[in-house]
Amino acid sequence: MKCPRAAYWGAAMLLLASGALALYGQPDIERKWQYLAGEYGVRLDDRSVYIDPAELLSLMQDDYIRLLIVDVRPEPDWNLFRLRYAERIPIEELPQHRARIAGLPANAVVVVVSNGEALSTRAWKHLMVLAKPNAYILEGGLNHWLDVYHQRKEQPRESDRSQELEGDGEPLRHTFKLALGDRHRTSFPDPHHVNPRQYEPKVKLIKKVVKKGGCG
Amino acid sequence: MMAPWDLVAILGDAGAWAVYLAIGFAFGFVLESSGFGDGRKLAGQFYLTDLAVLKVMFTAIVVCMILLFWSTALGWLDYDDVWVNPTYLWPGVLGGLIMGVGFILGGYCPGTSLVSMATLKVDGAFFVAGVATGVFLFGETVSGFSDFWYSTDYGRLTLPEWLGLETGVVVFLVTCLALLMFWGATRLRRALHGDGS
Repeated sequence: MKCPRAAYWGAAMLLLASGALALYGQPDIERKWQYLAGEYGVRLDDRSVYIDPAELLSLMQDDYIRLLIVDVRPEPDWNLFRLRYAERIPIEELPQHRARIAGLPANAVVVVVSNGEALSTRAWKHLMVLAKPNAYILEGGLNHWLDVYHQRKEQPRESDRSQELEGDGEPLRHTFKLALGDRHRTSFPDPHHVNPRQYEPKVKLIKKVVKKGGCG
Repeated sequence: MMAPWDLVAILGDAGAWAVYLAIGFAFGFVLESSGFGDGRKLAGQFYLTDLAVLKVMFTAIVVCMILLFWSTALGWLDYDDVWVNPTYLWPGVLGGLIMGVGFILGGYCPGTSLVSMATLKVDGAFFVAGVATGVFLFGETVSGFSDFWYSTDYGRLTLPEWLGLETGVVVFLVTCLALLMFWGATRLRRALHGDGS
């Protein structure tokens, strides 16, 4: 039984298609974001993912919510000051956490923080590309958080040093005499001792779609 | 919006079931059309008398793989959202051996036995009954060997990650491997059984 001519044509087409794919390559994170921008970019444009510090503080006290605060700042800033329960994950390390973040339960909320909004917005885009969690961004970053909750004696600074710390030009504007990390009282302010703050709640829990598959 | 889509959210329960039904119908139709409802044809693969199973299945895998990763490359599909069975290495090896022995002895895999039963073949129906019994027994006893069942867990492990190569390169290599296997298997069958068998 001879091999039909069509089989050779089929084989040639498969080789051509797979060879072209090897040359074209798979999309990296930036290219993938371009594909997803139409779907998720609107949330950045209408600022529906930027949450007020008061909403984040409320989430930090909510036992029902499984909160993951992702701090994407460089280590020196992280050492100076960070939010209680935050986890430092630099942007370039986010892919290593993809499976864990994608597997978060339906009651999980991810909040990305940096000193301002530029770095955290970039990290949010990466997160949406990698795992599409129910993720938000701290509005105004930790500088805004400190503006709201820091009962400071120190004045906001215009530091040259801190500008060296964060690549995206988002220095930590507040001075700290000691690197207290999350032991600073503003890391998790006592809600009974802060001024009530009006905000528009934006966090919504999402319904998780169960993904399964297989072949008999 | 990039695939995969949440069909229930888009079409509702009934619409999603209709899509599942259509895909299942097409799958069964192709299996039956390829002759895979006949246990003798399937078993012929193991005796190198009929290589249709290898050619049809591997062609399906390669075509699906190329379409899948071209769709990903062009931004139509998010591969990270596609379910990939997690790898439990040694349980998978043992399970594959058991299924392979069952395939040779019974002439079917679970899917093809359903196709066979759908065409009222008695051997297919008995095979399905055996599968159901096996599934029941497994479910009742798995707690006794759960340590092994969950051992060597590699999670979502794919060939590009395992080999440390670009996905497109792996797709090309698997395609070459498939074509080489088709060629080699055909040569072997001819050598063993001649052209006409």
